[in-house]
Amino acid sequence: MNKTASIILILAFVISLGIIFGGNFGDSGTRQNVEIKDGVQYVTVGAQGGYVPKVSIAQAGIPTKLIMETSETFDCSSSLVIKDLNYQNFLAPNTKTEIDIGAWEAGEKMQGLCSMGMYSFQIKFE
Amino acid sequence: MKKYIFYVSGTHCASCKILIEDILNKQDIVHNVQVDFKKELVNLETESELTPEELVIILNDLIKPNGYSLSVEKKVEIKEKQDVLWQALPIGLFVLILFFLLQKSDLLNFGLGGSITPITSLVVGLIASVSSCLAIVGGLVLSLSAKISQDDQSDTKTFLLFHIGRLGSFALLGGLLGILGSAIGINFIFTAILGILASVIMLLLGFNLIGILKTNKITLPAGVFNFFRKIEHRTLTPLIIGFGTFFLPCGFTQSMQVVALSSGSFMTGMLIMLFFALGTLPVLALLSFGSAFFAHSKYAPLFFKSAGVVVIGLGLFALLAGLAGLGIINPIFNI
Repeated sequence: MNKTASIILILAFVISLGIIFGGNFGDSGTRQNVEIKDGVQYVTVGAQGGYVPKVSIAQAGIPTKLIMETSETFDCSSSLVIKDLNYQNFLAPNTKTEIDIGAWEAGEKMQGLCSMGMYSFQIKFE
Repeated sequence: MKKYIFYVSGTHCASCKILIEDILNKQDIVHNVQVDFKKELVNLETESELTPEELVIILNDLIKPNGYSLSVEKKVEIKEKQDVLWQALPIGLFVLILFFLLQKSDLLNFGLGGSITPITSLVVGLIASVSSCLAIVGGLVLSLSAKISQDDQSDTKTFLLFHIGRLGSFALLGGLLGILGSAIGINFIFTAILGILASVIMLLLGFNLIGILKTNKITLPAGVFNFFRKIEHRTLTPLIIGFGTFFLPCGFTQSMQVVALSSGSFMTGMLIMLFFALGTLPVLALLSFGSAFFAHSKYAPLFFKSAGVVVIGLGLFALLAGLAGLGIINPIFNI
């Protein structure tokens, strides 16, 4: 293999890696998983092979609860870390876990991660 | 009494100095053997009438089994063709792309049914061994295996010990989790720090494999190595590393640990963790013994460099993800 061909291949591969990792930029988020019942806001996030949805948009200023839903989840997304709340917990494989995250101000963002750090999700408050 | 200075090659660590001195000082024909590790020289005295060339042949027979060789003249390091790296880079990157595409696909996410039996944990182990856990455990296995095959002739024994250590620790610690229950909590921070340590080792070994770190060799103080050598480090070290993989961060391992923990019985905990480790065995064994196979073939230089590229990629991924997991940096990846 000559050097030029190799450099072209390397560039192509680096760009593909960039696409694989950078696929989530510009995710504007969804409100579909957010509902308000009796003055409490519930944000539901699925955890299985990553978190769905990756970006949720919730209302600021109301008490909020995060519901983590696992379905036969054995991967990293089951060991959840929320730095802002000092929350670390292991979600059992088939459960709904309710986490009280309190009320947030507009413009704030809360981030959840799996303990190995390769899956994450965000809740933006507006 | 004559004094000779020979050149020595194959010394990659401070312990080599002690080992060579030990071996040669036991011989009657030479005295006062001193190894200058930095300059790669061996100073010795002899009363025999042999020519330096003949002496080198005799001494080489003694230290060759340990991977060192003496020469009268300085060996000019054969400059590997730069071409190899140019071939290795695309190969390594291609492997990385395949690996991350597999993570992004939904192939690894399928249901396993309700309760966990040893058989389900075997399947979880199989999935884990090709999942993102491979970035840490597999990357570590690949980098260590390639490095060991590069340095050492007797790699099969080392690999066997590693895998035995891994299986043994999973069975034993799984059983302990079963009876002791939450008495031994699995600490997120502890595993995260271990993961970061593992990824740093991977990066160092990766650069070493592609030949960038060759000049500044990684050395530990001779005292540390001396200690390990006394307790036969060739046997114990791979066992300990295998044992340590129980604590490496891997979501699948952690979920199985929780199952073992909540089982409340030594047998169940042991079986769950043992079968999980057995599930990961085919891929990990393929990585270590595959490395040995390539390392002893004519493709060895290409293999070492490609493996180096893969290991650096996985190491970087694991390091950045680990730092994000600890909250030190913002998550960069979201696969």
